[in-house]
Amino acid sequence: MKALIQKDVYVLWKQMKIFLLVMLVIMVGNGSFGSVFVVVWCSMMPYTALAYDERCKWDQMAAMMPYSPRDLVLSKYVLGWLCAGAASAVVLAVQAIIRALHLSVATGTPLAVLMSFCASASVLAITLPVMIWFSVERGRMVMFLVIFLVCGAAGALGTVTISVDQTAGGIQSLFGFFMLILPVAAVALTAVSIPLSMRLYTARR
Amino acid sequence: MNAIELNHIHKSFGGFAIQDLSLTVPSGTICGLVGENGAGKSTTIRLALGALRPDSGAAAVLGTDVSSPAFTGVKEDVGVVLDEAYFPETLNALQVGKILASTYRQWEQGTYESYLDRFSLPVRKPFKDFSRGMKMKLAITAALSHRPKLLVLDEATSGLDPIVRDEVLEIFNEFTREEDHSILISSHIVSDLEKLCDYIAFLHQGRLLFCQEKDRLLEDYGVFVGTAEQAQSLLPEAVVGREARDYGGVRALVKRGMVPETLALERPTVEEIILFIVKGENRR
Repeated sequence: MKALIQKDVYVLWKQMKIFLLVMLVIMVGNGSFGSVFVVVWCSMMPYTALAYDERCKWDQMAAMMPYSPRDLVLSKYVLGWLCAGAASAVVLAVQAIIRALHLSVATGTPLAVLMSFCASASVLAITLPVMIWFSVERGRMVMFLVIFLVCGAAGALGTVTISVDQTAGGIQSLFGFFMLILPVAAVALTAVSIPLSMRLYTARR
Repeated sequence: MNAIELNHIHKSFGGFAIQDLSLTVPSGTICGLVGENGAGKSTTIRLALGALRPDSGAAAVLGTDVSSPAFTGVKEDVGVVLDEAYFPETLNALQVGKILASTYRQWEQGTYESYLDRFSLPVRKPFKDFSRGMKMKLAITAALSHRPKLLVLDEATSGLDPIVRDEVLEIFNEFTREEDHSILISSHIVSDLEKLCDYIAFLHQGRLLFCQEKDRLLEDYGVFVGTAEQAQSLLPEAVVGREARDYGGVRALVKRGMVPETLALERPTVEEIILFIVKGENRR
């Protein structure tokens, strides 16, 4: 598994400079939506790695190397979690810097970032089996649809959190509900998604 | 123990099928897989290594069923070079080495570096800027650097210039000097296989037409060259394939055992045997 993640990191590394710049532009000034989008977007990095794999037919080669189907599938999930985790850390760091410098730039809240990590794990759990079964080229439309729905919903929720201090306890309880439901959804979806992806991967052979 | 054993494998893809394929590569030998484009050579290799699941039949490599979970560990002992599948194109040889060092327990960095040096491969140049020959050289380098017992090579010598091709064939020959080392190699360049192999397996339209010891194959067949009248005297079942030549001449591949010993026959090449068999098959 370590080798597979190492390979994907090498493959993605070259794009990182531009990617970090784009992340910063989206993150700063777009409030919670920007933060959520960046984290969810980063969790999609396994699909870029998958696209490279497909282009060079790496899956054919990998199937003949000492990697188990479990390693091949699980490595993409782990890569997604690592990317989303790294993006969350960057967003939190940027938010901390902006707060420390007392700048009047909208970057969202730390809570929204933590929730967006859960949302990105859910998106990954929903879209990765689709990508494994249909390949990146054909599965892309499903992925965009899911990202759009999740980011839209999470962005709306983030906007609500900004105004939490000024509103009544009703909204706070709604926010608390999402705080509870998102981690549970992420864990439940992932628990279903990994075995499903492994089954689809094996069936494709 | 056999290095590779395929037993009655069937695999259908709609318009094309591998049919009742049984093939054995004894340990310590080199087996050449020959066949026209689309004959099923790459598919056979993928089936043999468990990368494709057969509709029916069984495959075993180095004594382990390829469908069993234990086969993942056995793949440590198998070096693979494929015709098309490479490493992701943004990687360079240095990174490929690091990835494979984390992949194979028996990885030998020194061997890897010495082959890179021997093939004059740049270590920091991205894979996408490699020529086809360089890609094949890197793939061969990677396959040889984890102490494999079995090499599976799909068109591994195509794209190489004649000098490097000769050097690579010599490396493969060196590899089989260890008595438990074996090679399954597919190639369009039949002369390479003739030079290298102990066994020749011939696939045609998804069916294995023969798998025989090369020397035996060359002894069993002969090439008759004569007039059409002389050819008439040959037993029909002795003639595997024939072609007309200028001035009413005939050239035919015949089974030596079925023609009179007094009849002068030329020694065929493996390529001639294959071409005549295909012509004979197509006529049926």
